[in-house]
Amino acid sequence: MGGHDAGSQHQFTGIAKHFNSYTIAGRRNCVLATFASILGLTLFFKLKPKKQAAVTAK
Amino acid sequence: MVTSFFDQFSSPLFMGIPLMALALLLPWILLPTPSSRWLNNRLLTLQNWFLGMFTRQLLLPINHPGHKWALILASLMIFLLSLNLLGLLPYTFTPTTQLSINLGFAVPLWLATVLIGLRNQPNLSLAHLLPEGTPLLLIPILIIIETISLMIRPLALGVRLTANLTAGHLLIQLISTGLFVLLSLQPAVAILTGALLLMLSLLEVAVAIIQAYVFVLLLSLYLQENV
Repeated sequence: MGGHDAGSQHQFTGIAKHFNSYTIAGRRNCVLATFASILGLTLFFKLKPKKQAAVTAK
Repeated sequence: MVTSFFDQFSSPLFMGIPLMALALLLPWILLPTPSSRWLNNRLLTLQNWFLGMFTRQLLLPINHPGHKWALILASLMIFLLSLNLLGLLPYTFTPTTQLSINLGFAVPLWLATVLIGLRNQPNLSLAHLLPEGTPLLLIPILIIIETISLMIRPLALGVRLTANLTAGHLLIQLISTGLFVLLSLQPAVAILTGALLLMLSLLEVAVAIIQAYVFVLLLSLYLQENV
């Protein structure tokens, strides 16, 4: 297994500073972001109001 | 009464009383009790030597906080080893052929390692779900895959032990049934089958020892990741 990376040899700027696959913090943030996205998508589709079927007059 | 090859795996009942507790208690009755004497008898010395050597070897790669697990891992190893080996004797019941027993060992211990990791070093535990150096586009997929592989670990632990032991016992029963049938019909083939049965029995002894060791080793690896 890869050892812990202090991140000193990687100079990230911008969003890559927080979301990358090299530093511990970056990997943690990626994991949390993925879980949050999945949770958000699940909640979105669960709570989305269902379209009522049109009632056809006899 | 119609018997099948799977009857040996049914949980033992005596007049409606489940004997599972007795089956699980048997190894502890058979093992020698540690004494407070300075010099013990040969059996106890051998047991202590084996336990000490095994525990030392198992805990070598684990950090100091994980050494609290020494007792539980060593006793789990002895327990599984004795259950597996006693089950190879004729007319005995092997509790480790029951998925319920094996999952009962695997799930709480695996969950304990995960919770210890999340409690003591949450950043590291979460970061483990993404391998270092993963390309950007593969990050979400790999996180999902690693999460699934994490969740499947206790199931794999339990099913591995169950399947190995069940398959072994079934094979022994099948081949020995074939041997008894062939003894009267074709003695020459029966001798070959007997030789095969002997080799299979030796293999099953090895499998019994190895599977107990693999169970405990994997648990120690999961602990190593989280401690």
